Amino acid sequence: MLRAGPLALAAPAVAVLLVFFVAPLTAFAVYSLLTGAFYEVSGPLTLDNYRQAVESPLHRTLARNSLLVGLFAAVASVVFALPIAYWLRYTRSRWRLVVMFLIIASFLASYLVRIYAWRTILGSNGLINSGLDQIGVIDDPLTFFLYNRFAVTVALVHIYLPYVVLVLYAGLGPLSPAYLETAQDLGAGRLQRWRRVVLPVAAAPAASAFLFVFVLSAADYVTPQFLGGTSGGLLGVIVQQNMTAQGDYALGAAIAFAMLAAFLALYGVVALALRLTRLDRLRFVS
Amino acid sequence: MTGPGRSGLAGAFTVAGVLFLWGPLLVVVLFSLHSTAALSFPFRGFSLRWYEEIFSSAEVRSAAENSVIVATVTAATTLLLGTLAAYGLTRTSSRARGPLALLFFLPITLPGLFIGTALLVAFARVEVTLSLATVAAAHLVYVFPFFFLIARAALDRLDPALEEAAADLGAGRWLVFRRVTLPQVWPVLVGAACLAFALSFDEFVITFFVIGPDSTLPMFIWSTLRRTIDPSINAISTLLLLFTLLLFVVTFALTSWSERRRRGSAEPLVVPALKDAP
Amino acid sequence: MSGEPRVRLEGVSHRFGDVAALRDIELDVADGELLTLLGPSGCGKTTLLRIVAGFERPTTGRVLLAGEDVTDRPAHRRATNMVFQRSTLFPHLDVFGNVAFGLRVAGVPRAEQEERVREALRLVSLEGYEHRRSHELSGGQMQRIALARALVNRPQVLLLDEPLAALDLKIRLDMEAELRRVHRETGATFLYVTHDQREAMALSDRIVVMNAGAVEQVGTPAEVYGRPASTFAARFVGDANVLPVDVLDVSGDDVSVSLAERRRQVTCAGARGGPAWLVLRPEAVQVERLAREAGAEALTGIVRDVAFRGTGFQYRIAVDALEAELKAEAPASSPELAVDERVTVNWTPSACWLLPRDDDARAPGGPLATREETPA
Repeated sequence: MLRAGPLALAAPAVAVLLVFFVAPLTAFAVYSLLTGAFYEVSGPLTLDNYRQAVESPLHRTLARNSLLVGLFAAVASVVFALPIAYWLRYTRSRWRLVVMFLIIASFLASYLVRIYAWRTILGSNGLINSGLDQIGVIDDPLTFFLYNRFAVTVALVHIYLPYVVLVLYAGLGPLSPAYLETAQDLGAGRLQRWRRVVLPVAAAPAASAFLFVFVLSAADYVTPQFLGGTSGGLLGVIVQQNMTAQGDYALGAAIAFAMLAAFLALYGVVALALRLTRLDRLRFVS
Repeated sequence: MTGPGRSGLAGAFTVAGVLFLWGPLLVVVLFSLHSTAALSFPFRGFSLRWYEEIFSSAEVRSAAENSVIVATVTAATTLLLGTLAAYGLTRTSSRARGPLALLFFLPITLPGLFIGTALLVAFARVEVTLSLATVAAAHLVYVFPFFFLIARAALDRLDPALEEAAADLGAGRWLVFRRVTLPQVWPVLVGAACLAFALSFDEFVITFFVIGPDSTLPMFIWSTLRRTIDPSINAISTLLLLFTLLLFVVTFALTSWSERRRRGSAEPLVVPALKDAP
Repeated sequence: MSGEPRVRLEGVSHRFGDVAALRDIELDVADGELLTLLGPSGCGKTTLLRIVAGFERPTTGRVLLAGEDVTDRPAHRRATNMVFQRSTLFPHLDVFGNVAFGLRVAGVPRAEQEERVREALRLVSLEGYEHRRSHELSGGQMQRIALARALVNRPQVLLLDEPLAALDLKIRLDMEAELRRVHRETGATFLYVTHDQREAMALSDRIVVMNAGAVEQVGTPAEVYGRPASTFAARFVGDANVLPVDVLDVSGDDVSVSLAERRRQVTCAGARGGPAWLVLRPEAVQVERLAREAGAEALTGIVRDVAFRGTGFQYRIAVDALEAELKAEAPASSPELAVDERVTVNWTPSACWLLPRDDDARAPGGPLATREETPA
């Protein structure tokens, strides 16, 4: 029944993606090798942009920030999401569907709305401070909540947590309760079951969720602008500024692609780790 | 019963998680009804003034209209192209299937920053002025993988025997699609299109780079956020939240109704589609 | 098999919400025996097994393992191991990792792990499979690995929950032989659950016939088959004709009964006067083509259905004087009868059995019939 013919139906979609996705990215990559100024680029081919991207102290600080924030946000998301996904998968409570709905629904809350919400809560006139002030716990506002990497990380976790929960939930799907019962029958208590059965099975989905959150967090340019202050800037911000304010397309491109190279390297490392521990593609039978 | 399933600690995390996720959102909703402009405690009473303000604001209305237009165009185009692509890929034996599926999936893997900046550069190069049209094109790229994954999963789940039987009875490809495939799968496709609409309506990160003089609602929110501490943001945000929720309910209802129709279970298609992503 | 029972269940009852799944079960599993819980779906056999395993806590009653009260002990701290219906081999571990799982959890040193895993794999005839993955194994092999994984821990009792139900017939028969062999070689105590009475008879030292949460009969396969204690047991274990009769005369083991107004003799111990059920296995029914005349005491009928089963013929005969059809079996060597032929049916007195009957009770229909509720 399957023939080669129907593939032609995909042609319009392919065309759109080639024109609006592949081509622009290729052009952008080429731009990174040229010289940029005043929203234009000119030859000859040069690696100066990459040199500047990697060597500038500002870029290095921001790269370090991006790494730390990305790491913390990704790890926090996964660690927080695991027990939630476990509960959703194995509970027999009648609240299960309600909670599932709530989590998926929160997924759809607008990105900007969340950032704004956290600024409201964390700021010196924000909720935490005014609340504590009202109760009388503090007199002066606590300022360590906002305008730093912590605030940025919290907001990013808030944004990506639902996604991670869903990915882990789907990953635990094939691990039916019978497996956990078997482990229990073989003498494994709760901790041992987690260590020897749940975590190995969740490893691959957790790794993919980790990478997803890391990449999107490290490249975020909006959250740091509202919540990061001076110490919480991320690399994405510099890219955005080069593209819009400075008009240096080439440098912006170089930083962007340098980031991309780092992401690919990280992806490779994680994939290798999974392959070596034989946790990458688990085949459940029956 | 002893054993797995009785995890109090996991339950506690879940409660904490739901509170963490919804707390900030509910705060925004709460303060959208605040009678004063203060965004802090103590709470001084309820009022609808912020809603009145945004409803009477021409700027807000225009930005909302633009968002609707762009989202509608994006959703419609995605529905058409995505359905064709998913159908083509699931009904072909060609080996190009894998690489093409990868291409369709790729935009999800890249942060919006890359897509936005690359398009900015491309539009500048070919001297296309930035406008709502360029925004729609960008949204199409961004939204496509989501739609494609869901549509492909739905089409894969269909029983091929039905289409084969129809073809065996002499129906041509188009007829098979129209009379056999589509009736089974349209709720999921419409649901995915609603998701596409919601994603586009909400999009900011890419839009920022490719938008022209006209504003979309997220762009309006952003520019307001930068300028002042305007409490009407709370009202806009709340409405946006309610609107997206409504769309989600429609999507969820459509996909799970369709799935239940097909085999009597109640899990929506969104989750399996995410799992199937390469 | 020596004195102290390996497993003892005292007054075990269990409810799921409003539903009574088990009613006051008293049962001993002898050391080294293979005891089977046999019954239809919903009879409580799996619940009982899970209570022994520790996955369910009985609403009332006690569970004792080798004399020790383990009722309050959770599953992971009981010396029982279970083979499930679906093998649940962990996909992230190879065969060695699976079989050694219980040993690793218990902290057994690596050298001893390797030794015991090798021994367990030899026991199930799968030496050398240590590095295979579960998706490389066939269904039968997976269940054998599951068996090894359970036995390697040397449990007090091995629990088996319909382990062969998901396998193809041919493999199932091979696995039955394997299970018997493993049981013999290890001398371990097996508690087995199945709804397949043929499998139960082939494997067990003793069978516990269960229905609707209670025990109907406990005995060796021969006892349960030859002398069923209830019409349910008669119909569930093997096939049976159950006919309503009235006991007329009892002298020792010789009993006269009235069946459809004819007098028949039955050899049965402990019979009492009054209404009874006559239990007759199909292979005990003798069918013959009707001779020109049949005596007044003969039972005549018409063949309604013939099925050839390789080893013999299965007949359904509509007997003139009886309401129900009679099931009969004849060896392949006997002359084949055709549908609509007129026949006589007969049997010897010692080839049938009597069970007490309530006055106006009709013949219970089929193996899944539940017992009449006696008001509490």
